[in-house]
Amino acid sequence: MSLQYVVLATSVALVAIGVYGLTSSNNLVRQLLSIEVLFNGVVLLVAAIASANPGMLTLLLVVLVSVVSGEVIIVMALVISMYRASRTLSSDVLEERGV
Amino acid sequence: MAVDVMLLLGVLVAIASVIVALLTVALRDLVYSSSLLAVLGSLVAAFLALLGYYIVAAFIVIVYVGAAVMFIVLTVSMLGGGGVEARNNLRGVLAASVTLVAFTVALITLGIPPGTLPVNVDVRVVSDSLLSDYAVALVVLLVALAATVIEGISVARRR
Repeated sequence: MSLQYVVLATSVALVAIGVYGLTSSNNLVRQLLSIEVLFNGVVLLVAAIASANPGMLTLLLVVLVSVVSGEVIIVMALVISMYRASRTLSSDVLEERGV
Repeated sequence: MAVDVMLLLGVLVAIASVIVALLTVALRDLVYSSSLLAVLGSLVAAFLALLGYYIVAAFIVIVYVGAAVMFIVLTVSMLGGGGVEARNNLRGVLAASVTLVAFTVALITLGIPPGTLPVNVDVRVVSDSLLSDYAVALVVLLVALAATVIEGISVARRR
């Protein structure tokens, strides 16, 4: 067993856990948290597979983390805005109301 | 028998990461869940540091955990749970199983590249390259992040 296999197994487990949370819950914040778990798995997967050019991969991961951080801020702002408008974070209720 | 310390640490961090990820999606209280996401981010950063990606690990702790996840924690603390959360565990387990099988088959079929971990990243070379070859891209990234934060505040304040 090498470190690479440990990283790959962990990344696949995190992706599966993220998909579980994303599909099992109807709460918008829970879905965002699950997407973030999934993202952490993807970061590990990329780091484990594409290690041939570590310098370039470092830059790629820095950009990836920056973009996801921006995405988190925008999505949370939308969640706040949606909660103010409808007083709920349930995606089912929001769908019924046509939001 | 010599014990590979890096491998042992890797296994420990891996087990902790999976447990924390499970708690993040399973706990009923969203404040605890979002706080655990910060722990998960720190564990992933520790994993990346073990693999040799020190700059990325530092960046994740400072930008991702320190700013983005803390933003989620504070927002969730202010909003509360947002109503009763309905769960469909069967659908979740089914989707997770399909994902697990698909990823495993893809990795076995495509083949795993030979193990070169931990990598040896020269921090000086990467930082020089970032500040010279990719200086424009770095500025664009920083401006885009600042614009995102301003837009986020603007969207949250809008009624």
